[in-house]
Amino acid sequence: MPADTDDREQLRRKFARYAETRDKTLRDELVTAHMGLAEYLARRFTNRGEPLDDLMQVASLGLLKAVDRFDPDRGLEFSTYATPTIVGELKRHFRDKGWAVRVPRRVQELHLRLGAVVSTLSQELGRSPTIPEIAASAKVSEEEVVEAIEAGHAYRFTSLDAPSGGEDESALSNQLGVEDQGLIDSEHRVALSPLIARFPPRERMILHLRFFEGLTQSEIASRLGISQMHVSRLLARSLAQLREASTEDDTP
Amino acid sequence: MTRILAAGVASRVGFTLDEVDDLRIAIDELCFSLVGPNGRQGTVTMCYRILPDGLEVEGEGHFSDGSHEPLLSPLSMQILGAVTDECHLEPGLEGPTFRIVKRHRDG
Repeated sequence: MPADTDDREQLRRKFARYAETRDKTLRDELVTAHMGLAEYLARRFTNRGEPLDDLMQVASLGLLKAVDRFDPDRGLEFSTYATPTIVGELKRHFRDKGWAVRVPRRVQELHLRLGAVVSTLSQELGRSPTIPEIAASAKVSEEEVVEAIEAGHAYRFTSLDAPSGGEDESALSNQLGVEDQGLIDSEHRVALSPLIARFPPRERMILHLRFFEGLTQSEIASRLGISQMHVSRLLARSLAQLREASTEDDTP
Repeated sequence: MTRILAAGVASRVGFTLDEVDDLRIAIDELCFSLVGPNGRQGTVTMCYRILPDGLEVEGEGHFSDGSHEPLLSPLSMQILGAVTDECHLEPGLEGPTFRIVKRHRDG
């Protein structure tokens, strides 16, 4: 019998014994034996802004759940059973971590849906839509739209659900031309706040266009090729950081 | 809470999403300019008035430290100036007073 088949048979026996005894030492052995699977799955999520150590912890928790729930009598390979459990745990982690404060699921989903609604309406109308127009298009109340937009500012950008494709950091950075960079730099050398100079180029650009050049959020969105709601979230985040930084630097 | 109220009122007067967001930013910056980076104990009263072409927000802050001065940084002035059509923030008899006006862009 080949070694890996032998190992698999041993593991199968361990799972059978664990199912009967619920022996914690046995459980630890089973978890350790499959840690490679947890690490492999955790690594698939490393480009989304979370440290690998944190992802490993989450994946290990998923692995533990899978070991606890696995029924060896069903004839399924453990890795086949455990993979969706671990991936589910990782996705839940990103979904929960994606919001800086607790936001009800329905509001999160509406916020994500509104992004597309606003983009479509903006194109159709040739201007920023009103709240009643957004509400009518999304078939929700105006209050729900206001609530979802407000909740969007509690949204972090490392979430799996964060808009991607064309809105990622590198793509945006590439859209900032040399001329734009020069403009920002010269303006901010004599800036009203040296705090702005600490921001990454994209945020500096958006702050500059909105507060120094007077472009609307929709105009900035169009110029940078991103959605108005994305500009809104970035501005809200930058302003919050500016206020936080001015608290730290509280100089008269 | 104040931001949601501002957004709610703004949506009822037909502001676009851009204008609603401007007003939210203005209210945020206004509150920050009233209570300052380290916070001040007290109350802020805001009165919303619907104008034919926009919205006016007027009010004052009463703080336990007795300060009548707003804590307005040059950057806050720049931000408020960019997102409102009129912005006045000044010392009052009992505390700092303010008045901002946001108009429809096409209004």
